[in-house]
Amino acid sequence: MKKLFKDPVLLLMFTIVTVALTVFVIYPLINVFVYPDSTDYAGVFSDLRYRKAALNSFMIMILSTLTATVFGFIYAYSIVKTDIPGKKFFRVISILPLFSPPFMVAFSYLMLFGKNGLITYGLFGVRASILGWHGLWLAQTIAFFPVASMSIEGVLRSISPSVEYAGRNLGADGFNLFRRVTLPLSTPGIAGAALLVSILVLADFGNPIMISGDFSVLATEAWMRVEGWGDVAGAAVISIILLIPSVLIFLFQRFWVKRRSYVTITGKIVNIKQKPTVWWARILFFIFCSIVALMIILVYLGILLGAVVKGWGFDWTLTTQWLTEVLVRGKELVNSLVYSVLAGSISAALAIVAAYLVSRNRGPLTKYIDFAAILPAALPGIFIGIGYSVTFTSGVVDLYGTAIIVILAMIFWNISMGYQTGLNAFKQISVSLSEAALNMGANQLTTFWKIEAPLVKSSFVSAFIVSFIRSITTLSVIVFLATSHNKVATFTIMNFISDGFFGKAAALTTFLLIIAFLVLLAGRKIAGKNIQLFD
Amino acid sequence: MDHHLVIKHLYKNFGKNEVLHDINLDIEKGLFTTFLGPSGCGKTTLLRTIAGFYEVQQGDIYIGGKLINEVPTHLRNTTMVFQDYALFPHMSIRDNICFGLNVQKMEKNRINERLEKTVSYLDIGSLLDRFPSQLSGGQQQRVALARALVMEPEVLLLDEPLSNLDAKLRMNIRAELRQLQKRLGITTIYVTHDQGEALALSDKIAVINQGRVQQYASSQDIYFTPNNEFTATFIGMSNLLPGTVSDDGHTIVLNTESKERVRVTTDYLPGEGKLCFRPEMLSIRTSNDGSENLFKGKIQHYIFEGAYVRYWIEAFGSVIIVDQYDPGYRQILEGDVWVYLDPSKGHILQDEQQAM
Repeated sequence: MKKLFKDPVLLLMFTIVTVALTVFVIYPLINVFVYPDSTDYAGVFSDLRYRKAALNSFMIMILSTLTATVFGFIYAYSIVKTDIPGKKFFRVISILPLFSPPFMVAFSYLMLFGKNGLITYGLFGVRASILGWHGLWLAQTIAFFPVASMSIEGVLRSISPSVEYAGRNLGADGFNLFRRVTLPLSTPGIAGAALLVSILVLADFGNPIMISGDFSVLATEAWMRVEGWGDVAGAAVISIILLIPSVLIFLFQRFWVKRRSYVTITGKIVNIKQKPTVWWARILFFIFCSIVALMIILVYLGILLGAVVKGWGFDWTLTTQWLTEVLVRGKELVNSLVYSVLAGSISAALAIVAAYLVSRNRGPLTKYIDFAAILPAALPGIFIGIGYSVTFTSGVVDLYGTAIIVILAMIFWNISMGYQTGLNAFKQISVSLSEAALNMGANQLTTFWKIEAPLVKSSFVSAFIVSFIRSITTLSVIVFLATSHNKVATFTIMNFISDGFFGKAAALTTFLLIIAFLVLLAGRKIAGKNIQLFD
Repeated sequence: MDHHLVIKHLYKNFGKNEVLHDINLDIEKGLFTTFLGPSGCGKTTLLRTIAGFYEVQQGDIYIGGKLINEVPTHLRNTTMVFQDYALFPHMSIRDNICFGLNVQKMEKNRINERLEKTVSYLDIGSLLDRFPSQLSGGQQQRVALARALVMEPEVLLLDEPLSNLDAKLRMNIRAELRQLQKRLGITTIYVTHDQGEALALSDKIAVINQGRVQQYASSQDIYFTPNNEFTATFIGMSNLLPGTVSDDGHTIVLNTESKERVRVTTDYLPGEGKLCFRPEMLSIRTSNDGSENLFKGKIQHYIFEGAYVRYWIEAFGSVIIVDQYDPGYRQILEGDVWVYLDPSKGHILQDEQQAM
């Protein structure tokens, strides 16, 4: 602390970060709890709709988490531990959904497998309805298995092949080796991935709003309350019901699973070749990966096709009508782009500064910053949305319907991502580098700009990309904040779909995707290959 | 001698842990001083406190007569060579070396002048446009040294700078470092746990253990006349044999069954003490020629080290170690022998109050 007052720049950084996190993370969080009165809370127990939504949420969380984790594990195992052909292709395909709007899977499957579905009706002549819990289950499995796959892939890669060779050396092989060595070693990692997925499934708003039909879950129920009855207090109560398991799972994942993890980073890269997989297992793994990859490719094909046909389900003539229309109207796209660029850069900058402060200082204030910067990772998008809507749309600072409220929500919802990236980066930069700079006469500010900032440049870029993409593709955060003045593309897409304008919705989604992938490519160009995303 | 860096009654705690206890050192100008001790003894903490990375909690540090307790690290000009070198990975070698001078906004001509001079000392002129990751460990080490030297520091601080190099390279750089320091005459403080390194490099050594200075003296004094058991055993090997110094002051009666009497040429205070003989100060004879300080022993085992043979010999009721230099080919000794203790090389450890 003594050091803090000797160094005004450090003091300023601490002040900005602390105030920002308190006002825009902690304060709205508390407000959501305070906003409803006791009758609103009591409603939870008397109102059947709450209970149904909660039960549904719970059920779908179990189902989707289970399948997404199993899919993720098999997929990751195929990529890391077998020698099937096309591993690189499978890997890239499974990363794509991470850079796309989360509701896109449900939207595309609605077009492909719905009543007028291109595949169900067009190909097979079946008038099946995908609306309902089974559609949601499918959509969430495909939407979230990449998260599980990526995190499990990391775990599997960290298991040194020499451990498996040791297992072989002692007489275990094939399935025996898998059961006795590989699987137990990766169990904590798999558990961690499952918990991560369950938080995402629980908080998912985009997929259920598109595809779950009458099957209401907590997130959609909150939206119905506000949209249908203007019952913001009820929505706040629901968001609290959502928040509690999210935070618990998050804490459990962070503190328990991580401690049980066998992953050790030795910095030594052991490059021993994998033993060839048995031929029949190879074929099975390949078929599995192909089917999953096909399901992902179908998502994108569906969207692209939807954007260029005249009337989905009845008029398949090609047209550029929708694409030009959304581009000319374009206000949502411009809004999306501007808001996300601002939110992405401010979020990344703030996150990196927070990470710098936390990794280079100690004390209670640092602990507080750490807590407040991590917390948003556990907050469901609709919780942030409702929190901002009850906190910043009345009183002295009325931001109702402004761009600022949307941008702020995006900044702080995403800050955890950049913060964690930043922490990792600073952890890797030896403290002796900044000490060396100080030692040779540079002050704190010079040291930060000349030594640490250039070294975390790539982390900043990846933090920017992640928060930019999450911002431009989010629906749950902005749905409670959007008005006709500050609406963004995802909000309009949702409205188009609910009104049946699939062509326009698909066209708008296509442009969102193009923007997201362009930013991703540009980021890779700027920061080089060594950017890490979604770790 | 000019006392350049003076440390007075320095204490340091990390929480409940006392890391430095009443450190008092007068470090002379232009000398090479080493803080030597096992890991965790506080030597690095002491060095970092001098550099200003740690605040002074209690006590005073003066450089050139000026109290520097409150001077922030970047204004101290006590440049340091870090154990992991801490070269800035995103800067060329030139920019690394000139970093401190650039921060000072020194004129370009003067920077180049200093750069050239330093680079020529260390023979790294051809590396200037490369980046740290393209350099070998030994080269990185030279650059780190250049980066510190170019600042023409008041005091040069070296934190185990050789520990990441392989043994052979370490030997070479050791010799070079010693010559360079003599030539430039920079007051240098070197931290290491390697006693060989300390003896080879230093004018003076401060042996540190558990946060206390055990002995602060020249390398030779530390080696030949350690003043306590820690110093005697930490630096080199020592055979320690407890006994009582008799009234004449130069005979010690060992506390063994046969109460051997060993004569030493230096005078010590009568009373308790420990006879201290380095392994190479003892010699082995195959027959008893009747001279004094000759005692019976039995060889247990040996290892052949090339330059010498190290024997474990049962004698004085325990096992002592004797190094026999210049061993002849196929002349390893076995069985019963005689051990000779040269009186002029014997040293007796006594309690500090007694000895002083």
